[in-house]
Amino acid sequence: MPLVELKNVSKRFGKVVASSNINLRIEDGEYITILGPSGCGKTTLIRMIAGILEPSEGQVLIDGKDMIGTPIEERDIGYVFQNIALFPHLNALENVSYGPIVKNLTEGERHNVSNQYLNLVNLLDRMKMFPSDLSGGEQQKVALARTLASGSKLLLLDEPLSALDARVRVDLRYELRRITKNLGLTVLHVTHDQEEAMTVSDRIVLMRRGRIVESDTPEMMYRAPKELFTANFIGETNLLDGVVVSSGIERSLIELRDGSIVEAQPGEFDPGDLVVISVRPENVRATDEGLNSTIRSISFMGTYLRITAEADSEDILGFDVHVARGMDFNVGDTVSLGWVMESALVYPKPPGGIAEAVKLE
Amino acid sequence: MGPGNKLVELISGKRFRKGWTALNIAFFLLFVIIPTVYILSYAITDWSEIQEHVLSDPATMDLIIGSIIVAFEIATIVTIIDFVAGLPLAWMMARKDFRGKQFLDTLIDMPLAVPTAALGFSAAIFWAVTPNPPPFSLATISSPMILIILLHVVFSYPYMVRSLTAILGGIDETYETAGRTLGASRLTAVRTITLPLFRAGLVTGAILCFARSLSETGGTIIALATLYGRRMVEGDFHTGPSLIGFWKDASVSDPTLIPALSFVSILLIILALVLLLVLKIVIMRVRLPLRKVWPSPEKLLSRGLFPKIKDTSAIIFLIVIVLIPSFFIFTYVLTANPVQADWSPFIDALLTSFLVATIVTLIDLVMGIPMALYIVKNKTGRLSQMLDVLVNVPLIVPTAALGFSLGLFWSNFDPNASFPLLLIILAHVAFTYPLVVRNVVGAVEGIDPAFEETARTLGAKPIQSFRRVLFPMIKGSILAGAIMAFTRSLGETGATLAVVANANTAPVYIVELVNEQSYYLAAMACIILIIISYVFMLLLRRFTREEVV
Amino acid sequence: MPSVTLLGIVKRYSDVTAANGLNLTVNDGEYLCLLGPTGAGKTTVLRIIAGLTTPDQGRVLFDGRDVTSLDPEERSAVLLSQTYCLFPTMTVADNVLFGPEIREIPEADKEQMLVSLLDMVRLSERANSYPKELSGGMQQRCALARAIATSPDVLLLDEPLRALDARLRIDLRRELKSLARTLGLTVIHVTHDQDEALVMADRIAILRAGKILQVGTPAEVFNEPESPFVANFVGQSNFFTGKLVNSTPTGAEIEDDDGRRVRARATSLPIGSKVVLAVKVGQTHILKREVTPLKGRIERILFEGRVVHVDVDIEGVGRFSSKIPVRRRGRYNVGDEVGIGWNRNKAKIFPYPENGLEDELKVD
Repeated sequence: MPLVELKNVSKRFGKVVASSNINLRIEDGEYITILGPSGCGKTTLIRMIAGILEPSEGQVLIDGKDMIGTPIEERDIGYVFQNIALFPHLNALENVSYGPIVKNLTEGERHNVSNQYLNLVNLLDRMKMFPSDLSGGEQQKVALARTLASGSKLLLLDEPLSALDARVRVDLRYELRRITKNLGLTVLHVTHDQEEAMTVSDRIVLMRRGRIVESDTPEMMYRAPKELFTANFIGETNLLDGVVVSSGIERSLIELRDGSIVEAQPGEFDPGDLVVISVRPENVRATDEGLNSTIRSISFMGTYLRITAEADSEDILGFDVHVARGMDFNVGDTVSLGWVMESALVYPKPPGGIAEAVKLE
Repeated sequence: MGPGNKLVELISGKRFRKGWTALNIAFFLLFVIIPTVYILSYAITDWSEIQEHVLSDPATMDLIIGSIIVAFEIATIVTIIDFVAGLPLAWMMARKDFRGKQFLDTLIDMPLAVPTAALGFSAAIFWAVTPNPPPFSLATISSPMILIILLHVVFSYPYMVRSLTAILGGIDETYETAGRTLGASRLTAVRTITLPLFRAGLVTGAILCFARSLSETGGTIIALATLYGRRMVEGDFHTGPSLIGFWKDASVSDPTLIPALSFVSILLIILALVLLLVLKIVIMRVRLPLRKVWPSPEKLLSRGLFPKIKDTSAIIFLIVIVLIPSFFIFTYVLTANPVQADWSPFIDALLTSFLVATIVTLIDLVMGIPMALYIVKNKTGRLSQMLDVLVNVPLIVPTAALGFSLGLFWSNFDPNASFPLLLIILAHVAFTYPLVVRNVVGAVEGIDPAFEETARTLGAKPIQSFRRVLFPMIKGSILAGAIMAFTRSLGETGATLAVVANANTAPVYIVELVNEQSYYLAAMACIILIIISYVFMLLLRRFTREEVV
Repeated sequence: MPSVTLLGIVKRYSDVTAANGLNLTVNDGEYLCLLGPTGAGKTTVLRIIAGLTTPDQGRVLFDGRDVTSLDPEERSAVLLSQTYCLFPTMTVADNVLFGPEIREIPEADKEQMLVSLLDMVRLSERANSYPKELSGGMQQRCALARAIATSPDVLLLDEPLRALDARLRIDLRRELKSLARTLGLTVIHVTHDQDEALVMADRIAILRAGKILQVGTPAEVFNEPESPFVANFVGQSNFFTGKLVNSTPTGAEIEDDDGRRVRARATSLPIGSKVVLAVKVGQTHILKREVTPLKGRIERILFEGRVVHVDVDIEGVGRFSSKIPVRRRGRYNVGDEVGIGWNRNKAKIFPYPENGLEDELKVD
């Protein structure tokens, strides 16, 4: 039995539809991220699970029980807030003890539990400090400890890292996954950061405009996205306009705007269909034979260079080269670009145009 | 470069800016603070007189001490009632969404539109056993103390609800939700998390109500006069402010009352300041039982019928205790027999009131806005912090004492009161100026200084960034402050009487009518005043709502 | 477009020193990123350049001209704050024309300016909208147009992308950079995000606790960090602490207390001194156990898109991380016994920090 199940859940605020007919099952012990751009309805979704909001329609089941009408405090969920929301008038230890106190644990149990979780986030030495004296990362760790100390098996994380510095974020996300996996918790983590989502989760649920676009493991979402929006949102990708020349069991041949023909994965297309090819920059490389392109810009990315080139077909192609090979490329140079057939995915051209289909806002 | 540009250059100069600030502070000290507390100097200069006529006269002393104790008792009870009855309503306004919320919002503010003189009359004829009670009146209260408490609740309640709502709205609801996700019932979360964060706001609300009750004079006098059905006399029930009003009136014919009058004023001012300080400290120090929880009873109270009962009784309280007494006066239009009368004195008085209110408001705006900006922008400066505190003083000083003090101060310059209008204006400036400053300070504090800073880096001089960026953003609050000052000036009785005994303003005229028991005329005059104030009130609401932040 | 020079800037607040003797030159037309953790004093530096904060000591020069005592409006350095601060009571068009309006530029010129600026930031359709009706990205672009409309000498950007979604941020990085380049602006861009700085900057200045630790091109700060902090802050690094036991012009060797000996680039530090070696996570390789003294067990494998993140728990030393290409992922599983190593030229040696390594690396 799934721990959490949403059945046909919708939520409207006046005329605005924040969630539209959502169906979702979360298994016991799963770490799931709900990913999507601002305003896609991801926060509304977990707020409905927590009971902070009630759905306009549909059912929210936790452990098989319908939760509609059950107040927040009786749902037995842990919730970590985006703005951290540590109680400013209580110190770190008192914050962590809040759950055990209101759950009426004995003095001794309370002490044990609070210390145990503060220790888990390595902040035992900060227990007498007030939130305003802690750094952002420490605050969020105390907030996590506070949530864990209340003892619930289901953890809802609402953009838990977005208020923090980029570098702190990277360290904390590994930490988050480690701790929750060790404790065997079920986690629902909301974020707009695709990198964070890929790193922490067992499964990503990608949302857009109140609907679930697609849901799968990070690897499948990255390597074989079913939707064009997913391909662009999770990791960067090059999108090329084309027309199907032929599509068989082994490969597709697609004609670009300048008449050049490229290979891509096979698919159920007929010759003449308008399509979009998606190929990730790390899969594009300079070859002897390929699309004739002119280098427009080169950015240093640390261990590699991201080169942006304009093909004769007017498509913009980004590709990555190892830093050591950086000398071979200069802005203005012409290169010939290609890719292995398997790494180029083909999608039917969306009726509203590519830009609309992958729009981020 | 055009002339406009030259002007901008001129007033952007550092020297001009310094001079302008100094002028503003000087105005504040000279026209607001010093006149307000001028009376305190009497304790030194005329101590012998006070000793002779007051301290050594047990009857007078008894009267003074009794009246002051009563005033504090009333203020305390009123504040407690306001808080207990106001919190549920403030909660609804700040945290809940329901149909008719806007309507309820307007209802809460309505008593503010009624000048206190009219309010005193209206509440008195509704509650009190009067010699000649109008139809529908409850006519059950014969104790003057209870009547005054009921009256003070009416006009201080909106202040309490307003400040509690504002503070609750400012406390991030996430804290409470966080508490609930940790397993606390709604009541437990509120008590252990929201309430401690709320304490500073509670002080503000309590002080506002306490000061309002302690300082109100006009309405109190009128209510008592209505209850007794005659002019007040020496042996009647008196609160501190009403005693001042009464003696001030009588001192015109009996100058020996002046020392007693001074003494009671001084005492009230000092006690008000001290008590408010104490109140502030006590509330900040008091230990609420935060660490303790009673999960089951609190859970019980958080669910089911209880919250509904609480909300319903809050609304019933608002309607029965606050709204009906405020507007009971309107029944006169329906029930009493019209009386033929000469309206011209009232119209004269009304015009005077308008003239005074307009001039007062203009002075407040011109001198108050720069002061407010100075206070906010130099928040860390010692001087500005001091000014911030001082600005509140006229709000907590009883208006009758304030008026008396102002009268004494200005009579140094105009001993024969040959410019009564000027004196009234100066007096009204003293107690309306803080309203404008407070409103503008509140608004400017809420706006990220980065807006103006961005404008500066885009090339705007300080005056340009104020006019083009900040001003449009706080326009609503400035207007709100202006209209509050205007209606307050329009409705003020006690201070006016204390400065100029025979002042010719509309509220004073109404007091006269009540004293003469011309109730129908008094009612009609009140209604006219209420309607005018209400129109302003509506304007206020419209402008504040248009504010974009 | 002038250059901006900071000379010996000091700014103290009651309890913190936000700038502690800063020296920095930003060249004409340069895009400089001021990179550092929260609380490093980045925003203070920006405010001092803008004239919104007066330094306790030191001077600010624009093109060699001392502007330290000038008011913000006299400097022509436009600040774009984190929240954009679009004036809520004005439309997009009025916001953009705020600067020209103040300068009393003729109507016709203003019109023309507005059209071209709105076109440039793709907001022509939204000229009459109010800021609150715009999406985050649009607001950011509108604020940018407003800043450019004053033809500033210097554009100061305070975390201009922070309020935006992660994915959108990636696209806007390029857009913002190319706009600055096209217009030849001198830009000082404050950020806490090292990826953003690497991609956008001509040069990066790394700031910590009111001090500039290092200034250089992205490749320089990435490949040639001058301190363990920089090595770890700009792209994660693995660290190995030990004693310098061997040093030749071609390379060095360090040995830890348990006798593990690893190799690094040449160093001028004296033999026998306590040192710490830093190597970028992306340049750390997983090897066979036999070929390296650093042996351990794979603790976890995380898929990150273009690479896979592998944590290896090295017995007696601690966790080392590596990023391997996705195609090599299948070779490893959690629990595998492996080794860790690197090309000696990628490993840099630093003297062991006085306050300990943990304190040195603290980013929070």
